[in-house]
Amino acid sequence: MSAYVTFEHVKKTYHTGEVEIQALRDVNFEVEKGEFCVIVGASGAGKTTILNILGGMDTLTSGSAKLDGTEISHLNKKQLTAYRRYDIGFVFQFYNLVQNLTALENVELAAQICREPLDAKTVLEQVGLKDRMKNFPAQLSGGEQQRVAIARALAKNPKLLLCDEPTGALDYHTGKAVLKLLQDTCRNTGMTVIVITHNQALSAMADRIITVRNGMVESMYRNENIIDVSEIEW
Amino acid sequence: MKAMHKTTLREIKGSFGRFFAILAIIALGVGFFTGVRITTPAMVNTVNQFWQDYQFYDYRLLSTLGWEEQDVQEFQKQSDVCYAEGSNTLDVLYLFSETEYVFKTHSLPKNINQIQLATGRLPENSGECLADAGTSGLQVGDVITVANSNAQDTIDSLNFHQLTVVGTAYSSYYMNFERGTTSIGNGSVAGFVYILPEDFDLDYYSEIFIKFNCNEEIYSEKYKNFMGEKDIIWEDLTQQQANHRYDRIIADAESELNDGKQELKDKQKEGEQELQDAEKELSDSEKKLSDAEQELNNAKKELDTGKKEVENAEKELSNAEKKLDDAEQEIQDGKQELANAKEQLENAKLELDNAEKQLEEAEQELITGQQELDSSRKQLQEGQAQLETGQKQLTEARAVLEQSQAELSAKESELLANQQAFDTQFAQAELAWEYLPEEQKQMLLATQAQLASAWKEIESAKTQLETGLQELNAQQVLLTEKQEEITAGWQSLEEGQKKLDDGRIEYEQGLADYETGKQEYQDGLEAYQEAEKIYQDGLKEYETGKQEYQDGLKKYQDGKQEYEDGLQKYQDGLAEYEDGKQKFADGQKEYQDGKQEFDEKIADAEQEIADAEQEIADIEKPDSYVLDRNTNISYACFESDSQIVEQIAKIFPIFFILVAALVCMTTMSRMIEEQRTQIGTLKALGYSEFSIMGKFLVYSGSASLIGCIVGYFVGTVVFPQVIWMSYELMYMPIPMHYLFDWQLALASLIASLACSMGTTWISCHHELAETSAGLMRPKAPKAGKRVFLEYIPFIWDKLKFLHKVSVRNIFRYKRRFFMMIVGISGCTALLLTGFGVNDSIAGFADVQYTEILVADAEAVLKTDSGEELSKELEQILDTQTQEYVLLHQASWDLLADDKIKSISLLAPFGDMSAYINFHTLQQESVAFPSVDEAIISNSISERYHVSLGDVITLRNEDMQELHLTVTGIFENHVYNYIYITPETMTKQLSESPEFNTIYMNFPENADQYQISAEIAGNDSVTNITLLQDLKSRMSDMMGSLKYVVLLVIISAGGLDFIVLYNLTNINITERIREIATIKVLGFFKNETSAYVLRENIFLTTLGIIVGLILGVFLHKFIMSQIIVDMVSFKIRILPMSFIYSIILTFIFNIIVNLFMEVKLEKINMAESLKSVD
Repeated sequence: MSAYVTFEHVKKTYHTGEVEIQALRDVNFEVEKGEFCVIVGASGAGKTTILNILGGMDTLTSGSAKLDGTEISHLNKKQLTAYRRYDIGFVFQFYNLVQNLTALENVELAAQICREPLDAKTVLEQVGLKDRMKNFPAQLSGGEQQRVAIARALAKNPKLLLCDEPTGALDYHTGKAVLKLLQDTCRNTGMTVIVITHNQALSAMADRIITVRNGMVESMYRNENIIDVSEIEW
Repeated sequence: MKAMHKTTLREIKGSFGRFFAILAIIALGVGFFTGVRITTPAMVNTVNQFWQDYQFYDYRLLSTLGWEEQDVQEFQKQSDVCYAEGSNTLDVLYLFSETEYVFKTHSLPKNINQIQLATGRLPENSGECLADAGTSGLQVGDVITVANSNAQDTIDSLNFHQLTVVGTAYSSYYMNFERGTTSIGNGSVAGFVYILPEDFDLDYYSEIFIKFNCNEEIYSEKYKNFMGEKDIIWEDLTQQQANHRYDRIIADAESELNDGKQELKDKQKEGEQELQDAEKELSDSEKKLSDAEQELNNAKKELDTGKKEVENAEKELSNAEKKLDDAEQEIQDGKQELANAKEQLENAKLELDNAEKQLEEAEQELITGQQELDSSRKQLQEGQAQLETGQKQLTEARAVLEQSQAELSAKESELLANQQAFDTQFAQAELAWEYLPEEQKQMLLATQAQLASAWKEIESAKTQLETGLQELNAQQVLLTEKQEEITAGWQSLEEGQKKLDDGRIEYEQGLADYETGKQEYQDGLEAYQEAEKIYQDGLKEYETGKQEYQDGLKKYQDGKQEYEDGLQKYQDGLAEYEDGKQKFADGQKEYQDGKQEFDEKIADAEQEIADAEQEIADIEKPDSYVLDRNTNISYACFESDSQIVEQIAKIFPIFFILVAALVCMTTMSRMIEEQRTQIGTLKALGYSEFSIMGKFLVYSGSASLIGCIVGYFVGTVVFPQVIWMSYELMYMPIPMHYLFDWQLALASLIASLACSMGTTWISCHHELAETSAGLMRPKAPKAGKRVFLEYIPFIWDKLKFLHKVSVRNIFRYKRRFFMMIVGISGCTALLLTGFGVNDSIAGFADVQYTEILVADAEAVLKTDSGEELSKELEQILDTQTQEYVLLHQASWDLLADDKIKSISLLAPFGDMSAYINFHTLQQESVAFPSVDEAIISNSISERYHVSLGDVITLRNEDMQELHLTVTGIFENHVYNYIYITPETMTKQLSESPEFNTIYMNFPENADQYQISAEIAGNDSVTNITLLQDLKSRMSDMMGSLKYVVLLVIISAGGLDFIVLYNLTNINITERIREIATIKVLGFFKNETSAYVLRENIFLTTLGIIVGLILGVFLHKFIMSQIIVDMVSFKIRILPMSFIYSIILTFIFNIIVNLFMEVKLEKINMAESLKSVD
C-alpha cells in the first residue's frame, strides 16, 4: 500500500517584518490510507503548520506535500479551496460550530458543498446525536459540540480527516469519548484520520505516530501495540 | 500611564478604519447638522447685514390721500426715527422692443431702501433711469417708452415720455426677483426702474418710508417686539397725520369752491341783469310793435272804408254822369221831339191849311174843273203849245232851283256841324260853366244866337226853296199833268168828269178827314205845349243835377286824393312795422339764445360746483396704512424661503445624529468587546476603571472631536454657500457671510462627544462591571436562536440552506439589524427624497404644461380692446390657429384666514377642455363650475385650507366682492387660479366681464414662433406667451434647487457608505472565526462572500424597502416645507427616482461589499484554530 499522504522536505518560513521564522525546516513523513495517525509535538514544534499545510489552509515554502497523489503545494488558491472542500474534513479544537445553526444544520453546512456528501442525519446518528440534531451549539455540551464538528467533517465524506487537538477543550471523559468516535470512524469507515495533539498519551491509540520537534519530524513509526481509547489514561 | 497612551495611539493606528468610521460619521452628522442648521441663520444674517447696510425700511406708510413734505417732516420728528423719506411709486407700462412691460417706477431713494448699482451710473438728468438688473433684461443704453395704453393719470404723472437706461441696479427693496403683480398690462411686473424724483409730475408722495434706529435682526423676536411697540403708536400717528392732510385738502378745496361759488354768483347776477334789460327792451319794442300794428290795422280799416267810399263815390259819380248824360240825351231828345212835334204841328197846320185851301181849291177846282173841263178841251190845244214853252221854262227854272237847293243843303250841313260843335263846346262849358270867363260865356251866347238866326235863315231859305221846288214840282207836275192832261186830257176829261164826280165824293170825305185832322191837331198842339212844359222842367232839373254832379265829382276827386295819400302812408307804416317786427324777432331770438347760453353756463357752473362739492364730499376720510416689512415680497418670501432649509434642518440632523450615535455605539461596544481580555488584564493589573475607560474614551472622543471640528467647518461653510448659490436664481446676488455660531458649535461638539464617548462609557461601564477573571474568560458566544420564519415551514423549507443561515444571522443581532435598517433605509429615504424633490421641482413644469395646461399659447389683449375681437386679429386667429378661446382674466384677492392672497381669476367664454385639463391630484376629472360656483387650484386649497363646498370670498381693487362655492379642486402648479363662468361675474357684479386673454392651440407641426410673432404684431395684443417657453423657463428657474438635491444625495451616499462599511466591518470582525471556519470548510471565495454579505444584501433590500416607504413620507414632509409663492409643486416621485434610489443604495452597498470582500480575503484561516478570545 503506497503512502496516501506524503510530506517530502517540506519547508515553511514565515516573514513577520524583518524577522524570519522557520516554522518547518525539513518535514518528511507519510501516512497510509485508512490509518489513524497522531502527530504529536510540543507547542511551537510546527505541528499546526503541518496541519495548515496539509489542510490546504497554508502554503509551503518549499518541498512537496501530496494527498492521494495530488501535489498540494502546486495548487492555487481556488484549487486549494476545492481541495479543502472535497478532500479534507476538519475538526477544530474549539469545534468552530456556527452558533446560529443547529447541530444538523452545521453538518449540512459542510455536506451541501460536497460532491458526494453523506446524509447528515445518518452521520449525526453515527456520532450518537440522534436526539440532539435540532439543538443549537450553545445548547450542547462540549463533547456533543465536538461530535457535531466531527459529524460535520465526516459528512463531507473527505479523503482525510484532520483533527486539531480535538480533546483540547474537553474534559477527560468527553475527550475520550470523542477520541473513541474518531477511532471507530477510522476503523469502521476506513477513513484516514490525522489527529494533531500535544498529548503524548493519545499516540497510544494511533496506527502511526509522528513526533514533531523544532520544525522537524523527530520520529515516525507504526504503532504495533494499539491500545483502545478506553484504556488510555492521561 | 505612558504605556496607556501608547496603547491608545497604537489602537488608533491599528484600527484606523474604525477610528475613521467614527470620525467620518461624526463629521458627516455634525457637518450635516450644523450645515443645515447654520444655513438659515447664515442666510438671514447675510440678508440682515445687507438690509442694514442699505437701510431697508421699517415702515411703509400709505394714505389714500398721499403725503406731503410736511407729513414727512412730522414723521421725522418722532422718536427713534432714523430716516423718514417720501417717495413715489407708480406702475407704468413701457414699450421696449415693441412689447409692453410693466415696470414699477420708483423715485430714486436717498437714504432708505438704497440701491446697489450693478452696471452704469446713477441717473443725473431727467429722462434717465436705472433699470432692474435682476429681472428686467434691460441693458445700459436701452430706451423704453411710456406706452400709450397707460391710464391718462399715469401719463400725466410723469415728466417724460421715454427713459434711457443709464445703469442697472439691484434694490434692497426688491431683494427677491419676485416683482409682484399689477392691475395694468398683463398683470405681471417685469421689474423696476428708478427715476429722479423730479421726473414725477406729482405734488404729493405716494408713500413714506420710515427707518428706525433699530438694528435688531430681521425676523427676530426682538425686532418683532420693537415693531410691535411701534405699531401701536404709529398706527394712530399715521392716521392722525393722514387726517391732517385730509383737513388741509378739504380746507383748500372748500376755499377754492367758495371762490368759485362767489364768482358764479357774481356772474349769475351780472348775466341776469343783462338778461332783464334785454327782456325789458324786448317787451317795450313788442308793445310798440303791437301799438303800431293796431294803428296800422285801424289805418287799414279806415283806408278800406275810404276806398269803399271812393269807390262808391266813383260809382255814384259815374251813375250821376250817366244819368246826366241820359238826361242830356233825354233833354236833347225831348228838345228834338219838341222841335219835331212843333214842326209836325206846324206841318200839320200847314197841311190843314193846305188841305183847307185845297179843299177850297178842290171845291173851286171842282167848279172850275168843270169849267176848265169845258175850257180844257179848248185849252188842250192851246195848252199843248204853251206846255211846250212852259216845259222849257220849267226845266230852266228847275236847274236854278236845284242849284240853290244844293247851296242850301251845304249851308244847312255846315250849320248842323257848327251847331254840333257848339253843342259839344257848350256842353263842356256848361260843366264848368261857373268857372268860364265872362267873354267866353258871351261869345258862346252870341254864337248860340247867330246859330239860331242862321237856322232861321236856312229855315226860310228852305221854305223858299221848298216853295220854289214845290212850285217847280207843281209846275212840273202841272206841266206833266198838263202834258198828261193834254195827252190824257181827253181821256182825263172823261175821267176827269168821272173824277170830278169821285173828287166830289173824295172831297166830301177829305172834308171829314180834315175835320178829324183839325181835331187831332188841336190835341197835338195841346200835348206839345204840355210836353214843352215838361221839357222845360226836365231841363231845369238836369241843370241842377249837372251842377250837383259837378260838385260831387269835385268832392270825389278830393276824397280820392286823400285816400291815395292815406294808402301811401299806410304802406309806409306797414313796411316800417314789418322791419320793426323783424328786428323784434331778431332781438327776441338773440335774447333767447343769450338766455339759453346763460342758463347753460350757469347750469354748467352749478354742476361744476356741485361736482366739486361732491368731490369734496367724496374725499373720504383718508385710510392710512402702516405697512411693515412683512408686506414686502422680498422680506416675506425670504422668511419662508430661508425657512425651507430650516425645515429640512429639523428632520435631517436628528437622523444623522441618530445614525452617528448608533455607529459610535456599535463600533465602540465592539471594540470594547474585542478588548475584553485586555480590559480584564488591565483591571487585574490594578488599573483604575477610569484609566482603562480612558483609552476608549480618548479613542472615541478624539475621533468625534476631529470629526466634529471637520464636520462643523465643512458643513457650515459648504452648506450655506451651496444653498445660497441656489437662491441666487431667486434673489439678488449678495455675498454670503460666514456665520460662526458658538452655541451651535458647542452643541454639536457636546452632541458628538455624547454620542461617541457616552456610548463608549456605557459599553465600558457595562464591561467593567464584570470581574477581571470573568473578563479574561472568553465571552460565551451568543446563542443561536430560531427565528419566527422557521415556524412557517412553508417558507422556511423552501429557503436554501445558506439563506437560512443568513436569515438567522440577520435576526441574531438586533441592534446591528436595527442599525443597518436605519442606515440603509435612511440612505434610501434621503436619496428618494432628494430625487423626489428634484422630480417635484423640475417636474411640476412638465406636468403643468404637458398634462394640465395643454394650450400652446396665451395672448393678453389690451384692456381697451372693446367688446369684440378686431377683424384683423380674428382673421389671424382663424387662419393660423387650430382653435382658440377667449377668457376674462383678472387679479383678485382671496380673503382667507385673515390673509389676503392674490389669485388669478379666469372666466372663459367657451369650452376650456382643449386648453386645460381640470383634474384632481387623483386624476379624477373636475367639472367646470356653474353660476356662483368656482373651481380652484390645489395650491389655493392647500395653503388656505379651502375645501369642497366652502364659500370663498374674492375682492378686487374696486372692493367688489365675489362669493363662490367651491365645487372642484384641480391640479395646477404654476400660479393660483380660480375658474368661474362669466355669468357669475355678470350676476354678482352686474356687469359682464370683458375678455382680455386668448388661449390657443396651433396646428401640429406649425412654426409656433412664427405664428406667435404674427399674433403679437396685432395692435390689440399686448403680448403672447408660448407655454413651451414658459415650461423651459420654469424648469430652468427651479433647477436651482438641484444643488440642494445634489447635496442631499451626496450626504445620503456618505451616510450609507459609512453605516454599511462600519456595520459590515463589525460584522466581519465579530464573525471572523466563523468565516475562517467556513473558509476551512472549503467555501469558495464567492461563496464565503455570499455567506457573509448575503446578509448585507438582504439587509440592504430590507432597508431599501423601509427606506422607500420612509422616503415617500419624508419627501412629502420636505415638499410641504418648501413653499415658493405662485408655484405649487407636483408632489411626486417618478418611478425612475425609485429605481435610482434603489440602484444607488445598491451601488453604495456593492462598493462597501467590495471593500469587505478584500477584507474577507485577508482573513487567515488559521484564525479558526485560535481559541475564542
